[in-house]
Amino acid sequence: MAFGLKWAGAGVFCATEVRVQFHEWLAILTGTIVQAVLLIFVWVLAPALLAIALVGALVYSVFLIGQRVLNEAAYVRIDHKLNELYHASPMSPEAYFLGMSSGIFLAYLPPILVIAVITVLVAPFDLRTWGVLIACMLAVWSVSATLGYFISTLFKDMKTIWPYSSLITNLLGIVPPVFYPLGLVPAGWRWLALVLPTSSATALVNGAAGFEVLTSGDILLAGGSLAVEAIALFFFGIYWARRTAREA
Amino acid sequence: MPEAVEKRLDQEPREGRVLPAFALVGWRWVSRNPVATIVPILLPFMFLYFLWRISPPEYFPLEVAGAMLFTTQNIGSWCLSDSAYWRIEQRLQDLFVASPMGKVRYLFGIAFSNLIPAAPALAILAVILALVTPVTLFGWLVLIAAILVIWVTFSAIGLAVSSRLESPREVWPVGNLIFTTLGIISPLYYPLEILPPVWQGVARLLPATYAALLVQDALGLRESAPGEMALDAALLLISAVVGILLALRLYRWREK
Repeated sequence: MAFGLKWAGAGVFCATEVRVQFHEWLAILTGTIVQAVLLIFVWVLAPALLAIALVGALVYSVFLIGQRVLNEAAYVRIDHKLNELYHASPMSPEAYFLGMSSGIFLAYLPPILVIAVITVLVAPFDLRTWGVLIACMLAVWSVSATLGYFISTLFKDMKTIWPYSSLITNLLGIVPPVFYPLGLVPAGWRWLALVLPTSSATALVNGAAGFEVLTSGDILLAGGSLAVEAIALFFFGIYWARRTAREA
Repeated sequence: MPEAVEKRLDQEPREGRVLPAFALVGWRWVSRNPVATIVPILLPFMFLYFLWRISPPEYFPLEVAGAMLFTTQNIGSWCLSDSAYWRIEQRLQDLFVASPMGKVRYLFGIAFSNLIPAAPALAILAVILALVTPVTLFGWLVLIAAILVIWVTFSAIGLAVSSRLESPREVWPVGNLIFTTLGIISPLYYPLEILPPVWQGVARLLPATYAALLVQDALGLRESAPGEMALDAALLLISAVVGILLALRLYRWREK
């Protein structure tokens, strides 16, 4: 099949997903717990890093949407066996993937907006930094939604999924410099931090906000790798949605 | 049931079977899902790495001890998850209720089965603790006692909460909300004294706070007044007993 997008049903499925997610208000509320915990750690133990941690919380919140996509896609497929029905309908596989991912993104926006308001109060951004932040958040959403959707198709049992989901989100959210500055990473490991989607996004935003000084090489590596990952994974997500729909 | 089978069943020993049976359940979960074993081991280390990066280095021994208590406390979340999964998804609760095992044995069984995946993390953290600070025999005994009390208390809380859940979709957010919030309010990863007064007041209502204070006292990570350690130990026991009694009261073993 040509790689041209078929959007039929994406809007409706997105709206459906928003509605479904809003019924899970507890999950939306608790979706920011890890970020809140890490912000509290920073506030108590290193208050000078709070602005950087808030940027990290924004980026990480978007990254966690991938985990929600993983849970939702697995739940629809494994528990409800609904995906076969969706794929048998006129809705295209890419509309299923994009509708679900964007619906979850919209449903999980309110807690992200709360963190954004706190960020504005703690460290006001200029327009350029907001632009960089929004672009980085969209790139991180593309990466995490695709990863979540891809991983969800690999399992047959809901209980087996959580360790993988937990491992990926924590490995990419807590260990790299997302909630703490890139400058605290040993020099030899900086390149890795600038290649990972979460820490490259936070480094770019922190650089734009003036919280950290990045060299032009750092900006090129972080920006280039984030852009490549976001675009490549977006198309891979569409390819995978089509492939798994055929298998279904 | 034929009489011969009934007679044979009556001859089977019925005591001392719960812990080995649930140990087998815990082991099978670990052996079939190696990643499920690795994640609980890795999670406290990821937090520790983060804290090591951002906090003053003198807090590190306290954070390692805190990670041991936090890992133990999280067993409650796994008990919640297992118990809810078995009841809601696999309809196994009826089988447990129909068996000679009562709800207290079920609590200890499920807590024991979930201690197995947490044990490697606790062992590695104990080694790290011994490397970063000198620990006396008394210190180890107090640490083990605090871990046991927290293990039973939070497993009971997890089990009690699980019996009130109605959908598998509630398991993750409810477990996450309760256990992460309780873990963060208690001063497991930082000294109680550096927290704002209101926070300190709320923290003093939780058993994990007294476990943390007691362990910090015993390891010499905190300057405490004479008699304070005994008071912390007494308050840990009292808050644990209150927590377990409340949990048993909340716990719904049979459907009405």
